[in-house]
Amino acid sequence: MKNLSEEKTADLLKEIKTEAAELPQKKRRDFMLNGLKLTAGTALATSVGKVLAGEENLPPNIPTWQKTLGRGVVSVPYGQPSKHEADLVRRTVEWLTADEIASISMTPLHKQKGIITPSGLHFERYHGGVPEVDPDDHRLIINGLVERPLILTMDEIMSFPSESHIHFLECPANGGMEWRGAQMEALQFTHGMISGSEWTGVKLSTILQEVGVKPEGKWVLAEGADAAGMTRSIPMEKAMDDAMIVFAQNGEMLRPEQGYPVRLFTPGWEGNTSVKWLRRLEVGDMPWMHREETSKYTDLLADGKARKHSYVQEVNSVITSPCPESPAKRKGIMQLEGFAWSGRGKITRVDVSLDGGVNWQQAKLKGLVLTKSMTRFSMEINWQGEPRLLQSRAIDDTGYVQPTYAQLREARGTNSIYHKNAIHTWQLNTDGTVNNVQLG
Amino acid sequence: MYNSVKKYFKVLVLATAAQGLFASTAYAQDPGHYGLGRIATEEEIAGWDIDVRPDGLGLPEGSGSVSVGEGLYEAQCASCHGLFGEGEGRWPILAGGYDTLTDDRPQKTVGSYWPYASTLWDYTRRAMPFTAPQSLTVDETYAITAYVLYLNELVEDDFVLTKENFLTVEMPNADGFFHDDRPDVKNKACMKDCKDPASIKVISTIAGVSPTEHLEEGAEEESAGEAVNEHGKQVYKQSCAVCHDHGVAGAPKTGEADAWTDRIATGIDTLAKRANEGYMGDAGMMPPKGGNMSLSDEDVTAAVEYMVEQSQ
Ligand code: HEC
Ligand code: HEC
Repeated sequence: MKNLSEEKTADLLKEIKTEAAELPQKKRRDFMLNGLKLTAGTALATSVGKVLAGEENLPPNIPTWQKTLGRGVVSVPYGQPSKHEADLVRRTVEWLTADEIASISMTPLHKQKGIITPSGLHFERYHGGVPEVDPDDHRLIINGLVERPLILTMDEIMSFPSESHIHFLECPANGGMEWRGAQMEALQFTHGMISGSEWTGVKLSTILQEVGVKPEGKWVLAEGADAAGMTRSIPMEKAMDDAMIVFAQNGEMLRPEQGYPVRLFTPGWEGNTSVKWLRRLEVGDMPWMHREETSKYTDLLADGKARKHSYVQEVNSVITSPCPESPAKRKGIMQLEGFAWSGRGKITRVDVSLDGGVNWQQAKLKGLVLTKSMTRFSMEINWQGEPRLLQSRAIDDTGYVQPTYAQLREARGTNSIYHKNAIHTWQLNTDGTVNNVQLG
Repeated sequence: MYNSVKKYFKVLVLATAAQGLFASTAYAQDPGHYGLGRIATEEEIAGWDIDVRPDGLGLPEGSGSVSVGEGLYEAQCASCHGLFGEGEGRWPILAGGYDTLTDDRPQKTVGSYWPYASTLWDYTRRAMPFTAPQSLTVDETYAITAYVLYLNELVEDDFVLTKENFLTVEMPNADGFFHDDRPDVKNKACMKDCKDPASIKVISTIAGVSPTEHLEEGAEEESAGEAVNEHGKQVYKQSCAVCHDHGVAGAPKTGEADAWTDRIATGIDTLAKRANEGYMGDAGMMPPKGGNMSLSDEDVTAAVEYMVEQSQ
């Protein structure tokens, strides 16, 4: 009996696979989805033993985990997520880069339930891989136009007065694959190059005051200890404003992926300027115009001219539920949720449209509303299976309203790669599935 | 006597405390206030300070010719960037692309896009060749820079680049950049009847360009059944793919059965030994552990097993 049903299931699967192979890719996914549901149903109906096995933990039965002792303290000295959350991982799109070392991965925003991204899920961006820095042998040198060129150990850096701030960190290429049209079939890929953390460190101004910047000093070059020797030039105004030398993230030392043991952090600015594995700061009277501020991280416009020193991450927002990874599971009252953020300040308002931008309603901001931080919004809707075009539009305290694709393309063309912050559209289908679309 | 000493001591403590308090409020801005760290020596700074600016600041004494650069480039750069800077496979293009910046698909190269030659010198010295950053000498950097400029038709074939003549190199797109002037778009927060519903055209994604396997129900169970050598795959991607994915430096390409049949025939132990200890064959140099000495023998062996699985 049991064998037979398994055989049947296997046959069915095979059949589905052969049929699916003949369908165009898009249809194939839907077919597989339906097919797999069907398979599960068949297996359930034919194999009675299995049904019971599947329900033994449900009421009125007492779940197995309640009838034995659980594991004790320090059985996992550094705690891990439940094994049932194994699909909650960073993911990459392989064709974006030539290899995995100078590459990028994205945060699973569809499952992020607050403004802090778990450190292990923070998106990654490397130009020469993650260096294995030994903190005892790590040094920060500050030289150039300063009174007292210093060399600091980690212990010394951490002995300066420190501060903690919650901010987002976003790669300016977030969503950059969508300039020409919708391409990515998941939220993780359309918007996942952003994460939020609590960052702890020393204000850069404190360190610069300690070394004494000479009057001619107008720029600071930050340099990393990775194989890319990453460098960016930071204007003195930002250096003396809210830039930080960060050593901790979400209460523990930085993760290697985020620059362990110390990084620069420039709140609200494109992620690349927050140089990781920071080993040197040099004060100068002009910018260095290195590879990451000329060849890359400049925004080429339609007329062939390019914007340079384009640091700020302007207002952006996205609906995280429903989304392709979290389809609508039932009709009725539904909590639509999302994130908004601005590199210029606080989010003051988020509007949501269900009809592709014809009519808008103001959503609720939830939890902490902090400057240069991911901010939650939500709206309760009553969905009865109508097809919908879902959009969110954020506004910050400078009054800037998140633009449309048409406005961005009109101003910049489609080749600027960076700083795409257009209003995003999810198509909610009658069966609850969600697609990434753009509106013409 | 005892009392007066004690009194004196108390006064002293108070005075010091007051001074301390005073110091931390009034002198917080003074250089050296915290007294942390020590003054960096010139030698320490010189070892790390290799940056070069558009005005030439940071360029060390030295020189290199296009002709010397050609040999160095072909040996150390061409495997990825192509003999003419055209870019092998998906590696970056370094030359050409003139007059394409307004095209539908612009080619941004050193010649067509970069505003300063100093950027090329600086980047080559700090980050290239990709697998061995900061391995080039000063003169080699001058020579390779000269050669990449030559590939972009910016200098003649007999050109010798030096610290002295560096600023004479003219970059065609030097004036192609302007300072950030955003916000450059102004949307309005319209709330009602903001557009004609009939005008809305829905344009879908081009299917199949982003990975979606994980969106399918039961995806986890399926891939778990395949039992890929995950650990080996990870080590491979981290430390071996750089050469073996594309055949860089003569490395046999993973997945290309022809390149592997004879090698696999020597047995997994031999392959693992050679990968761990390094191996000089007819095709080229396989560095011990692919150059990543932090890998254990088991890590490398797992990667070899993965490569063999992929190449049968
Ligand atoms: C193993 C492959 C490889 C080799 C060999 C290599 N490079 Fe590269 N090169 C890369 C990669 C990968 C990048 C991009 C890195 C990134 O994304 O940050 C790059 C980027 C560059 C760039 C910047 C391109 C741009 O448009 O921004 C230059 C210039 C360059 N390499 C020069 C060289 C030179 C000169 C050599 C030889 C000394 C060399 N490379 C050897 C892989 C290689
Ligand atoms: C810098 C480039 C480079 C890197 C990185 C590299 N290899 Fe190789 N590898 C080579 C070359 C070149 C050869 C070919 C040697 C020959 O046969 O002449 C080779 C050959 C091999 C062989 C075949 C040896 C034989 O007996 O035929 C194995 C196995 C191998 N590599 C494994 C690895 C593993 C595992 C790693 C990562 C830990 C790695 N390689 C990283 C360049 C590289």
